Amino acid sequence: MSGNITTTVTAARLRRIVNRTALLALVWLVVTEADTHSLVPGVPIVIAGAALSLVLSPDSLMAVHPMGALRFVRFFAVQSVLGGVDVALRAIRPSMPLQPAIIRYPLRVTGRWPRVFLTNTISMLPGTLSSRLDDEAIEVHVLDCSRPVMRELADVECRVADLFGSNLPPLEEEGAA
Amino acid sequence: MSWQWVVDGVSYVLFAASGFFFLAGSVGLVRFPDVYTRLHALTKSDNLGLGLAVAGLSLQSGSWIVALKLLLTWMIVIVAGATACYLVANSARDSEIEPWTGEGR
Repeated sequence: MSGNITTTVTAARLRRIVNRTALLALVWLVVTEADTHSLVPGVPIVIAGAALSLVLSPDSLMAVHPMGALRFVRFFAVQSVLGGVDVALRAIRPSMPLQPAIIRYPLRVTGRWPRVFLTNTISMLPGTLSSRLDDEAIEVHVLDCSRPVMRELADVECRVADLFGSNLPPLEEEGAA
Repeated sequence: MSWQWVVDGVSYVLFAASGFFFLAGSVGLVRFPDVYTRLHALTKSDNLGLGLAVAGLSLQSGSWIVALKLLLTWMIVIVAGATACYLVANSARDSEIEPWTGEGR
């Protein structure tokens, strides 16, 4: 039994090494514009980078769901535009409409990577900015507290969960249950 | 008759829009009342401004690999920007810097 577990762990680690090496090799090819001369420094650098990443972060990195990733990219692109336009208009309008508040958003998504990813995503979306991540919640600074922020955050959380290949139940209205 | 003028036209519009958002972000940095609201201005408008610049430059380059490289650069800047933003906001909270709420305006 313990032999089986050891084999599984080794296989997972091996796959991790292969994945990270492939990813870094791809990044190297893109950065050097696939110049063949750059392979001489590139191969050892990619291997060293993969080894270093395993030392620094031995746990599995983000296991991203491909279709979820596509949906997320589309969502993120649209929200980036909305977020940028929103804050730009607030900044240049003479009346400078701001109604800031700090709220706590209780987390439903589990796992370190999805939570860190969600924290960073929130900062790029219209009118929200993560200021603290703890075990139960994300503390979010909101530019305009008259917006339905909790619902927007729940939507983002569902999309991040989708990106990582899991499903979240839709958020129940507060006080409904 | 070539399509070059269309490509040029679209990319100049993208560059102009990019410049507008970088400028608006800087205006926000100066005008907004506290550290948190200023972070909003910087992270979001710089993300969009750089994205538009990347789109325009990709069109101008006419090369897939260069476009990919620009896209990769943008992604790295987004991750670095969001992380730096979190660290600043988080340390401001730890230092108990109260967010501006509009009272006494």
